[in-house]
Amino acid sequence: MNQPAAKLRVQNITLRFGGVTALNDVSFEVYQGEILALIGPNGAGKTSCINSISGFYRPQSGRIFLDGRDITNLPPHQRAKLGLSRTFQNIALYTNATTLDNLMAARHIHMRPSLIGEVIFWGMAQREEIKHRRVVEEIIDFLEMQAIRKSIVGKLGYGLRKRVELGRALALEPSVLLLDEPMAGMNVEEKEDMARFILDIHERRGVTIVLIEHDMGLVMDIAQRIVVLDFGRKIAEGTPQEIRTNQAVINAYLGQAG
Amino acid sequence: MVALQNAPARTAPQGEHPHLAPLDPALDTLPKNFVAMAKRYGARKVAMRKKRYGIWQEYTWAGSFAHVRDFCLGLVSLGLQRGEKVSIIGDNDPEYYWAELAVQAAGGISVGIFTDANLQELAYVLQDSDSVFVIAHDQEQCDKMLALREAVPSIRAVIYWDEKGLWRYRDAWLLSFEQVEAKGRAYAAAQPDAFEKLVAQGSGDDIAIFSYTSGTTSLPKGAMIAHRNLIYGMRHVLAVAPIRPEDDYVSFSPLAWITEQSLGLTAHVCVGTVVNFPECAETTQNDIREIAPVALLFPSRLWESLLSMVQVRMADANLINRALYALFMPIGYRVVDFEDRGKRAPIWWRALYRLGDVLIFRPLRDKLGMVRMREAFTSGASLSPDALRWFRAIGVTLKNLYGSTECQTHTLHYGGEVRFETVGKPPPGVEIRIAERNEIYVRSRSVFQGYYKAPEETAKAIDAEGWFHTGDAGYLNAEGHLIYLDRVKDLVPLASGEYFSPQYLEVRLRFSPYIQDAMALGSAERDFVGALIVIQFDNVARWAEKHRVSFTTFVDLSQKQEVYELIRKDVQRVNAALPEAIRIKRFSILHKAFDADEAELTRTRKLRRGFLAERYREIIEAIYSGATSVQVRAEVKYRDGRTGVVQTAVRIVDV
Repeated sequence: MNQPAAKLRVQNITLRFGGVTALNDVSFEVYQGEILALIGPNGAGKTSCINSISGFYRPQSGRIFLDGRDITNLPPHQRAKLGLSRTFQNIALYTNATTLDNLMAARHIHMRPSLIGEVIFWGMAQREEIKHRRVVEEIIDFLEMQAIRKSIVGKLGYGLRKRVELGRALALEPSVLLLDEPMAGMNVEEKEDMARFILDIHERRGVTIVLIEHDMGLVMDIAQRIVVLDFGRKIAEGTPQEIRTNQAVINAYLGQAG
Repeated sequence: MVALQNAPARTAPQGEHPHLAPLDPALDTLPKNFVAMAKRYGARKVAMRKKRYGIWQEYTWAGSFAHVRDFCLGLVSLGLQRGEKVSIIGDNDPEYYWAELAVQAAGGISVGIFTDANLQELAYVLQDSDSVFVIAHDQEQCDKMLALREAVPSIRAVIYWDEKGLWRYRDAWLLSFEQVEAKGRAYAAAQPDAFEKLVAQGSGDDIAIFSYTSGTTSLPKGAMIAHRNLIYGMRHVLAVAPIRPEDDYVSFSPLAWITEQSLGLTAHVCVGTVVNFPECAETTQNDIREIAPVALLFPSRLWESLLSMVQVRMADANLINRALYALFMPIGYRVVDFEDRGKRAPIWWRALYRLGDVLIFRPLRDKLGMVRMREAFTSGASLSPDALRWFRAIGVTLKNLYGSTECQTHTLHYGGEVRFETVGKPPPGVEIRIAERNEIYVRSRSVFQGYYKAPEETAKAIDAEGWFHTGDAGYLNAEGHLIYLDRVKDLVPLASGEYFSPQYLEVRLRFSPYIQDAMALGSAERDFVGALIVIQFDNVARWAEKHRVSFTTFVDLSQKQEVYELIRKDVQRVNAALPEAIRIKRFSILHKAFDADEAELTRTRKLRRGFLAERYREIIEAIYSGATSVQVRAEVKYRDGRTGVVQTAVRIVDV
């Protein structure tokens, strides 16, 4: 085996909701430091797959490994502690808090609270706060959010809220980032900005990225490998070139040729 | 003084002013002043602040000095020779100041380029100026340079100071600021006094910068400006608007613009002012508020947009604030009117004003970051008297400053003589003369050295007696104040023989919070004045929401009957102040905004009239043919370079 180490391994997972099979025996690996795109028509099971990886859904069968460790039975917050972080298709932020507060809240996972220390807010607690603020400020700088640092998130435009959400996912300092349609509903310029940020995160922070995206042009540009789902099954896997010419993929997207 | 006796009749008084004394040869260039200032203050005084990570990071004079020395020697070790040109394209940052001073310390000439220059504009300036290095801010500018590489073979290296996104670029042509500084440190280790020697070789007559004129009429020309010109140019202002070493300055105007060079960089190194750099363009307003500078120069458009922002926010403010605003603004205007007539307002007016100051004016000034403001200047296209009055009413004594790239400051308001309708008087050291066709001539020690590689243009601009021909029309009033009319060539005759100033009308129209841009129409073949108007989308959209006018896009909103009624009122207001013959008779609201990326505006956002007249010919013809609507097919260029076509009906209405 000359393959690089699998950062994340999805092994034969099957997920059912009553009589509906959302994921049917899906397996794939995400290698350390790559950008993998998950594509497929509506209802193919992409978001179900991300939800299974992050722990929101529990597949009926199959296993999920992170860094070789079986995380199938871990709850979402423990997976987050191990370095899994995600964004949502429908943005999920504290809408009445500022950008800064949303990002700081995400730092909780790295905080070492002690009741007395927090109450007097001195020494340790203060240093801790400064340390986390610095991490958050670097993310604000990285994602060019200086102007909205103190803006209430609920009042921001859609594209900016998406960016704040990405910032919050980064504030966890993840080793794997799961992005559920980070560019949906954006205009061309916003999409280009977001694509640039994703590439920068990947390049600068060495984060492994799993991405769901509908804009094929963008996927082909930024992903190194692509996994294609259709009706809950994996129908193809490969580089953008391979996927572009794959007959099963063409059929799934264009409908069965008569 | 012989020169004084021979001076033309209509010049400003020219007393012996300490600022006009000959330059000390030890302090006749910007780098010499910088080195002296760094020696004086060392690590004891803050030279600059840059907001980063939400905090104002400070740099002392000693720290600044090390950067300039290292970068300068780095450039020298890369082969920079005296007299060679280095282009800088980037936003305002400490590194920009350091880079420019480093280039000049090495005897080079710094060429500033606006950051939004497209490839063609950038290539033109690089080629025209014979630049040998480019200092490019970030990934965006480096990408432009990489795209231009073949077209600019003379560029030996591109040096960037913001590495974001450039981590994976592997190209020997690109160097980081730190890499160049490291080369400089190595060079200094071999030759410890190299930097001091280089600085000492400079002379006040050396060219410090090329400043490319914005090119309203033709291709940009590189105005060659000597160190001596910059130092005197700043002193002319300092003589009447004193600036002290402890004063805070906020640097955000493009450094490609002469004003920032003069009042920013030159005042920094010659006076020792603290320069503050905002975090990014979007946070500038907030950062200015935090610094609360004592002096500011905005182009008039920025003042106007500040004002319309306040007006709109006021309309949405709570009842108490609205009531206070409505109650005290007229009092503010009243007091200003007294002052403007050179009288002191009666005590009861002043008492009321004091009350208004506590309740509403000071809080407003605080919002704008102007609580410590001593010298607030406006320049560029003339600001409407209404805006001037408004700022003065809230306690910001807004003064006009009129100048040019070629000669820096011509006139300004000073000595308590602020007159709404004038652009002020020449400061000591500057002479003004009105020549034929009311053209304004200027002569001073800040008159530039000519246009680079354009001797004919230079000869047209500077005459044998050293007068710079501004191409502007104006006249001096009895008080010696200059009244600016327009560009000489821009005064436009109508078929009736009446002359009108399109710019005057446009400025007045733009004073409406609902109008973003306007272009006044008329010529010797036309019987009346017409206008093309661009709505201020945000404000009109808010108005439409409030008045239950539904709309979808900019195009749709702009052609609503209700919006035409709204704008008609503004046009009538402007007309009211004008004689019948030059009033706007018909106008049309455009379906799109003017855009610098489509070459409709210059980079300083002035209208490019010839281009606009051609582009909107159908609509203009319709205005004069009496039609009430016209179909337009407009090509729009998107930011990513693609083009598309918009088809819509544009209305035309009588006022």
